[in-house]
Amino acid sequence: MYSDPTFLVIQTLNGLQLAMLLFLLSVGLSVVFGLMNIVNLAHGTLYMFGAYFGIWVYNLTESFWAALALAPLGVMLLGMFFYEILIKKLRNAPPLQQVLVTFGLIFVGLDAVRMSWGNLATSIPKPEIFSGSVLIFGEIYPSYRLFIIGLGILVMLVLYFCLERTRVGSIIRAGVDDREMVSCLGINVDLAFFGVFCIGCYLAGLSGVVAGAVFPVEPGMDMSVLILTLIVVVVGGLGSLKGAVVGSLMIGLAETYGQVFIPEYASVTIYALMAIILLKRPGGLFPARAVQ
Amino acid sequence: MKKLFTLDRFVALFLIALSLLLSESVEYYGQELIAEITILAIFAMSLDLLVGYAGLVSLGHAAFLGIGSYATGILTVQYGWEMFPTMLISIALAGLVSALVGIFVVRLEGIFFIMITLAVSQMFHAYFLKNREFGGDDGMPGIQRLDLEAFGLTVFDPADFAKFTLIVAVLVYIGLDLLMSSPFGRYLIGIHQNENRMRSLGVPVEQYKLAIFIIAGMVAGLSGSLQAQHTGFVSPDAMFWTVSGVVLIMVIAGGTGSLVGAVVGAVIVRLLSHQISSLTEHWMLFMGLFFIAIVLFASDGIYGTFAKYCRRSRWWKSAGNSSD
Repeated sequence: MYSDPTFLVIQTLNGLQLAMLLFLLSVGLSVVFGLMNIVNLAHGTLYMFGAYFGIWVYNLTESFWAALALAPLGVMLLGMFFYEILIKKLRNAPPLQQVLVTFGLIFVGLDAVRMSWGNLATSIPKPEIFSGSVLIFGEIYPSYRLFIIGLGILVMLVLYFCLERTRVGSIIRAGVDDREMVSCLGINVDLAFFGVFCIGCYLAGLSGVVAGAVFPVEPGMDMSVLILTLIVVVVGGLGSLKGAVVGSLMIGLAETYGQVFIPEYASVTIYALMAIILLKRPGGLFPARAVQ
Repeated sequence: MKKLFTLDRFVALFLIALSLLLSESVEYYGQELIAEITILAIFAMSLDLLVGYAGLVSLGHAAFLGIGSYATGILTVQYGWEMFPTMLISIALAGLVSALVGIFVVRLEGIFFIMITLAVSQMFHAYFLKNREFGGDDGMPGIQRLDLEAFGLTVFDPADFAKFTLIVAVLVYIGLDLLMSSPFGRYLIGIHQNENRMRSLGVPVEQYKLAIFIIAGMVAGLSGSLQAQHTGFVSPDAMFWTVSGVVLIMVIAGGTGSLVGAVVGAVIVRLLSHQISSLTEHWMLFMGLFFIAIVLFASDGIYGTFAKYCRRSRWWKSAGNSSD
């Protein structure tokens, strides 16, 4: 079975689907990290809220697309709110304080979800046109998973264009590289950072809605992606789009192949991969800033 | 100028006296809780050596606690060893493993150090989860306690076991306090504050970091051995990353960079979560708000902020202490 090329293709598609979800989660986190050195452990919480907001909107409108359009905006507003009341104050705080605050936010978020939506696992129904399946080399494959892969690639292309071809993009790249110099040039780096933070929240919410149709939506779903996302961020290197792309592809595929081909060691595949990469490249594969 | 009675030692004495008093007066459950928190405090102190003194934020410290626990369980239950040599070997093994891990990881910094320690501990967790010989995911029951008849303590009495853990904690505190006041400790603090300066002064930074990583691993192994004796049981859960996460939160909440801060953090966080969870099922909400409040209103941690105000206050200075 393992040598069957069709099987390999199917598993690769599964791996790509996970990689795209991880990419949506990690790219914002990575750039925020690289740009402002803010450790946001509550990023997974935003993902969870994305999924729950999605369910909420779906129940009101009966439309997956409405959920996909509105829920990430809700998550972005939530992120902006916490930015204003909390994270703004911590921009220059020592990293350990940021760890404690965002860990506190994880706890608060988890209980808030339990209080609002209960403990039971639910899910977001798939949209009509992607509820069926397609044939790939004679194998039945759910088309919704292809939709996730397509959406991930689309976001990648849009972000690449914005970062490489627009003025705002060059400000962000320069800010990651040398923040003080950019602000000396009269550019409001804090505003650029705020924008990146909001986009990061939006994408976390987006991945929450999208994942809510394939994975169970339940309290605690935030913690299961948090570690994977952090692994992607450090494997790829802080602050770079390329790093987030390569990191999420590696981790998504390694996690999927690991579960299929070496199930008894599945839980350590990604950790072993990360350990090897960090020992060879202590700053990750493609850090935006050279490691001193 | 070295002073014998620093604020830290004063508070440590107070905490010890309080626990001794409580271990006599509280009921069975309270005595069990004292032993649990004391073991946790030893573990927290060992992590603070890394986080607060050397600036190495580890999210995998529970691995060494787990190795201490498993060594104690395997040697006594499966090989029938006596408990006292087993404890020594458990500590040595935890030290050996942390040396092997430390050689590779101490050159990493910041988030990369956090993540690689996480990776290593998760690999240990997976190993013990899969290994049927050591009980797999069921864990290993039937671990005895150290026989202390010679000292007049019957360790199956929870009050006496609590006293035993307290004695060990005091010895650990004294040992680590002396170590951190020694030139070795001062070098570590110097590395934490400005690594490049220490490097240019000719200090072998990596060797110092490795040394403290090994010492912290050994103390964690000791706390693991005690924990195995306390619960009579060890399972892979003891080395899951959330255990490391919780103790890291305790150390930060108490205040990093002082051993007493780590202890205060362990005591307060454990007691609070115990109290709140008995009052409401939404204990996580209140703990979360508590952590946020600490950072907003007591940014040096609970004990760190307390110590800062104490040292500034008039009575502390009038007692002949300088403000620092």
